[in-house]
Amino acid sequence: MKDDNKVSMLKIAFFVIGLTFLIAAGGCTENKGSAEATTKKVLVLGFDGMDPKILKNLVEEGKLPNFELLMEIGDFKPLATSIPPQSPVAWANFITGMNPGGHGLFDFIHRDPNTMIPYLSTTKTESADKTISIGSWIIPLSSGKVTLLRQGSAFWEYLGKKGIPTTIFRVPANFPPAQADMQIYQLSGMGTPDIQGTYGTFSYYTDEELDDQDEDISGGKVFPVRVEASKFQAKLFGPKNTLQKDNPQTFVDFTVFVDPENAVAKVMLPGRQIMLKQGEWSDWVKVDFEIIPFLQSVSGIARFYLKEVRPNFKMYVTPVNIDPSSPALPISTPEDYSEELAREIGPFYTQGIPEDSKALSENVLDDGEFLQQANIVLGEELKMFDYELSRFKSGLLFFYFGRTDQLAHMFWRTMDPNHPAYDPTSKYRGLIEQTYIEMDGVLGKALKKLDEHTTLIVISDHGFAPFYRAFNLNTWLKNEGYASLTDESEGNLFLNVDWGKTQAYGAGFNGLYLNLSEREKQGIVQPWEKEVLLEEISKKLLAIRDPKTGEQVISRVYKADEVYNGPYVKDAPDLLVGYNSGYRASWETVLGKFPKELLRDNTEKWSGDHLMEAELVPGILLSNKEIKSEHPALYDIAPTILAEFGIPKGEGMIGNDVFTVLNIGRSR
Amino acid sequence: MFGGSKVKLDKDLLDRCKKHAEEAGYSSVEEFITYALEKELRKVEKRSRDGEEEITKRLKGLGYIE
Repeated sequence: MKDDNKVSMLKIAFFVIGLTFLIAAGGCTENKGSAEATTKKVLVLGFDGMDPKILKNLVEEGKLPNFELLMEIGDFKPLATSIPPQSPVAWANFITGMNPGGHGLFDFIHRDPNTMIPYLSTTKTESADKTISIGSWIIPLSSGKVTLLRQGSAFWEYLGKKGIPTTIFRVPANFPPAQADMQIYQLSGMGTPDIQGTYGTFSYYTDEELDDQDEDISGGKVFPVRVEASKFQAKLFGPKNTLQKDNPQTFVDFTVFVDPENAVAKVMLPGRQIMLKQGEWSDWVKVDFEIIPFLQSVSGIARFYLKEVRPNFKMYVTPVNIDPSSPALPISTPEDYSEELAREIGPFYTQGIPEDSKALSENVLDDGEFLQQANIVLGEELKMFDYELSRFKSGLLFFYFGRTDQLAHMFWRTMDPNHPAYDPTSKYRGLIEQTYIEMDGVLGKALKKLDEHTTLIVISDHGFAPFYRAFNLNTWLKNEGYASLTDESEGNLFLNVDWGKTQAYGAGFNGLYLNLSEREKQGIVQPWEKEVLLEEISKKLLAIRDPKTGEQVISRVYKADEVYNGPYVKDAPDLLVGYNSGYRASWETVLGKFPKELLRDNTEKWSGDHLMEAELVPGILLSNKEIKSEHPALYDIAPTILAEFGIPKGEGMIGNDVFTVLNIGRSR
Repeated sequence: MFGGSKVKLDKDLLDRCKKHAEEAGYSSVEEFITYALEKELRKVEKRSRDGEEEITKRLKGLGYIE
């Protein structure tokens, strides 16, 4: 029996899950006077990764009637993306109206210059620093924290000060959402973890004989099971219990009964049972993980998919998501907004990137099953979109869809004959096109809301390109003598780097750092050597040719101090590597490994990407108003939105209102 | 604590350990050596166990990394 009030009080003091967090009491900050009733509406749709070339082609083929209509009555231009063109960086440009020098996000992955350990750039988690131990329990005396690392002000803070009703729905790089004025509704998006504190770790229960390496998969965990007497027992894992010594992972026991004749199974969880036919997905199931017996538990939600019953038993369970009706971490403002949504549409995916591309990459789900899972996500998002759109009367509504990005990543190989993983027989070759058609439908709903008071803005954060060949930047640096290793192994996380002999290293997808004496703990490059070294490395990078194709691997190299403005330029990678179309950093180099080979084919299902030179993958900008700016960029959208409400652009914003300022001669 | 194997140490190194153990107030040179090794191991293990596997898994959860 749990007492809800007690639980919420305890939540504030004691709850921790692998990440820890701070809940501020109360939802309001300052009262900005009465919210002026304004009839002005700005509706912004964000379609992650929507590409202007693909969009244009499909419009010309007559497949996107609503985009075509908007292009006719309004305007359409490519939208310059961020350097580098990665979602957290790009959306941070959108949110702050700055570039990475102003908001401090340079990549998905940063590194700590003291320890050289890579970390995910958007969020920091700190355990409580004051604790007492009682037996095997560790009681925090202060709260731990989870902090959004994006700097600068979000443009909606200016809207909040003017009392303008605002809804920011799942914009990336906004977890945890900052405390805001009363009428600012936010639901966090990309960057929001699952209950285990990861980007999404699925579970896979199977009695199939697997090699050791098949059991070690990224993005998920395989649980070998043995069906005996038509049943087996297994565990579903939750967050680490940081109130206990050694932080054991919490779990819930469950039993699966496998029907001896039919392709049916019954999953018995505490207080709940699910019957599934082979090929069936369950609804969301609430799962409670005990932190303190009878007093404190953490609520998650998961879905079960019975992939196969015989000859092998195979069951996939989604990452356990933070339960929106009882969120263990701050995922919305006001705090009960996620609960309101859950009441309205039922439970829904709260993890930042809900499409389970890892399960597809690892062949735990096949193409069709992944599509089913992605369709569950889309179904939820459409319901929430309808809900928000129906009550959108005034102010700003921003709504995000990530489907165009995730499906282009995974299914590029079905439509590009040049791709190493090209599958001419795939019945999903029309899938990317289908996704654009689905977004056209979303746009159609938005167009119906247009009136003389509404400005519609449609954007994407970047476009798309093929990812054919993976480049090991760190290996290149080693081969050229800029990096040195203590042993011959591939290494991991820079653990085998001889820093005393290393001048440069690659971290993240597009970052190249010098090992600077004044910045890195074990730095050796002196300040007076920096410029010459950067010049030399840049030249050499641009000269690299792929021995297989003869193509230029890197088409552009940017110096941070030439492309960034703001207080955080000093934290940036010294060089930003702009890969040519078809080329991308390998995952090995991203994580500080040094494989033997310099380049290799990308044969993965993750076959399209955008981590290339920014000019090669611009996004889109459409509006029902004329876009006067000649070269609109992501950082222009914030001042544009503010201008719509008669608010001057915020301090530090580097862009301009695209509807009035021409930006002639702007190169970036 | 008193099981395990014998380890050979260079005489100079052992002398240095003895000297420090006495000056720092350890009850024996064994106590100091055990403490010093455990401290070092904790550092290394923390980085490689807690660190490496978990860091890598967390980073690999990102779709962009295979």
